[in-house]
Amino acid sequence: MSDKPKIKVATAWLGGCSGCHMSFLDLDERLIDLAGLVEFTASPITDVKEIPEVDVGIVEGAVCNEDNERVLGTMRARCKVLVALGDCALTGNIPALRNRQKLADVLERGYVETESTQAGEIPNAPEVPKLLGTVRPIQEFVKVDAHIPGCPPDADAIWYALTELLAGRQPKWTPVNMRYD
Amino acid sequence: MIAGKEISLTIDGKPCKGALGQTILQVAGDNGIEIPTLCYLKNLSPWGGCRMCIVEVQGSPKVVPACSTPATDGSTVITNSERLQGLRRLTLELLFSERNHFCPICPMNKGDCDLQQQAYGFGIDSIRYPYLYPALLVDVSGKYFGLDHNRCILCTRCVRTCDEIEGVHTLDIGNRGVKNQIVVDLNVMFGASTTCTSCGACVAACPTGALFDKSAAFHGPLSRCQQVRTTCTECPVGCGLVVYTKDNRIVDVFGDAESTVSRGHLCRRGRYETWVEPRPRILRPMVRRDGHLVPTSWGDAVHTVKTLISASNHGQNAMLVSPRVTNETMRTLQKIGLRFDHIGMFVADKESALCTSPEFSTDAMKRLDDADGMILLGAQPSREQGVVAAKIRVAVRKRGVKLVILNSRRSDLDAYADISAPIVTLERKFWNRVGEVLGNVKRPVLIYGAAAMTAVGVTILDRLTKVLTSQCNGGEMLAPIQLPTSTNSLALAAGGVEPVEDISTWLGVQPVNFLYVVASDEPDGGARLLKEPHVRAFLEQIDCVVVQASYESALTDVARVVLPSAIWCEKNGSVTNFEGRALPLRAALAPSGEAREDNIVLETVFA
Repeated sequence: MSDKPKIKVATAWLGGCSGCHMSFLDLDERLIDLAGLVEFTASPITDVKEIPEVDVGIVEGAVCNEDNERVLGTMRARCKVLVALGDCALTGNIPALRNRQKLADVLERGYVETESTQAGEIPNAPEVPKLLGTVRPIQEFVKVDAHIPGCPPDADAIWYALTELLAGRQPKWTPVNMRYD
Repeated sequence: MIAGKEISLTIDGKPCKGALGQTILQVAGDNGIEIPTLCYLKNLSPWGGCRMCIVEVQGSPKVVPACSTPATDGSTVITNSERLQGLRRLTLELLFSERNHFCPICPMNKGDCDLQQQAYGFGIDSIRYPYLYPALLVDVSGKYFGLDHNRCILCTRCVRTCDEIEGVHTLDIGNRGVKNQIVVDLNVMFGASTTCTSCGACVAACPTGALFDKSAAFHGPLSRCQQVRTTCTECPVGCGLVVYTKDNRIVDVFGDAESTVSRGHLCRRGRYETWVEPRPRILRPMVRRDGHLVPTSWGDAVHTVKTLISASNHGQNAMLVSPRVTNETMRTLQKIGLRFDHIGMFVADKESALCTSPEFSTDAMKRLDDADGMILLGAQPSREQGVVAAKIRVAVRKRGVKLVILNSRRSDLDAYADISAPIVTLERKFWNRVGEVLGNVKRPVLIYGAAAMTAVGVTILDRLTKVLTSQCNGGEMLAPIQLPTSTNSLALAAGGVEPVEDISTWLGVQPVNFLYVVASDEPDGGARLLKEPHVRAFLEQIDCVVVQASYESALTDVARVVLPSAIWCEKNGSVTNFEGRALPLRAALAPSGEAREDNIVLETVFA
């Protein structure tokens, strides 16, 4: 083990399917190499909730509700380099499909009209974060330093981006290493 | 300025030669310099709308679109500067922000989308503009294809294709500014269009997933399919096909741009009907036992056929073949012909007279491009030879060609015609009018179909010849174009197979007590043989019918033995189109079930 201080990493899961985090775990044996270089702090993987001051913040998912917005703001404030992981964070992607409907109609459909729902009602508890009028990608809220496209990005793309960032370089996407699906 | 004069220019430091009248994009392409494009499509008029092909021309402060800017002698062009790359990237980012381009749920994902490929090329991992997320319609009301406005980049490739290739102008751009969108007719849903011919050329032209074939959507990327070039056997035009297959099934069918006959264009029949329409296949040989057709082995079926033939009365066995069969099958028929007392082909309505004097019309498709006057006599290309109809529409609309339609069934072409007379009179006034319309025509072409070969047709032809001789100043009548209805009827007729139209008379006169029908892949399974009620009664009475066909039909109901035929995309060999070109058929799929190609079946049965 080198005495070099480890780079602190936090990840967050906003409005997305967690497929990007799954793809992250697809790094497989490379996770061991990564663990030698970085220290994972808050993340859905570690189940640590509070984001500390970190070097790299990785965000999956679009901004769909007030809580997503708050978490994204915290991440941006506490990380040096913010990485957008996957298409939801980059474009809104699947969660943004609801943007073509009015929010009230979306809620009505989801909680009341659904065929399997009986006497459903739209949640109104203060603990439940309010949905935003439209789903937006994270760069419309905060400055993003690096992007990893893909739905989800495959492990190779994630590995490439992380190793480039750890080496102090900006990932360069080409037709060989990038895709949107 | 003399078009065609050689010019010299420098593109990206490379000395390039071109011809006056060429665009910068054409000269660059001819000299091996690639400029990115989106709205440009070869064979369509340039649009200059997408701004991907912008270039710098020395001396001009503005960038110009290469696709629609003429190349000038002595100019210096730069196609790939940092400024240009920045602007092109900006263009792509704006396109992405404007609509809902979500790749993971698009049927053209994974390599079939020009927009996606361009964005990969520019390494676009995010865009700098807020997404507009407009709420746009996904119109899947059409039968064969859908139009998803969310993925449209308004390149107008579909609009120009519909206008300049199919000639119907169903599509256009509606509304203003950011609300611009593709409209169908006067803004109706695709399924409600009264002008769309469902030729699918717009789908083939679309660079994104905005227009997509319903049956191909989400069946895997075309870029990873196998491609087989073959020939459409739905009509005698013989358009080139590219069949995309995966795991021995068809994913999509497009026109073959390399085809000298059709140059990539198709009609609804070749593009969709052959593989989208559900048609019940015959997959195994069957013989009738106790009144029911039961599946059996090839060996047993062939043995049964042989027994039936040897039991049939000498001089009374007959064979009827579909005019769709290949030239190879025809040669097999010629070999085995002696085994049958009578061989005929069941041609289309009124087609037998045409087949009595089969004439191949050399270079007919090219002559249609060159003609300045067209006379359609007893033909209905809109229904039967869609790609010819497209040529006629484009000729009238784009070149101002005079069109006279005589003695043909009503169709959409009437709207394009100077004179359209489904029933022709012999009045002097009418023929004077025909003479006036064709008065200044120099290169008239007569296209005549099956319905021309009647007493009325011959009278009309006679009048027409007189009019053209007396009125067309110095014009010469080009060799007429004979337009048959059935795929290979001319070649079969030329090969000595007798055309039969009146089946019941033919059967009764012979008279027949054993009938072998090669229906091949007739879409109706050959059931049109039974159109006249007493044919069915006759066949039931002789109770000795063998049907070799691809699709189940009423005909199989009267069969003693049924043998499964391969269909168009499972065949090798050739067909001869109405121009006399022998066009290749190449199997894209292995035959379904136990089906075999017609000539192989015949060789097996009559070995």
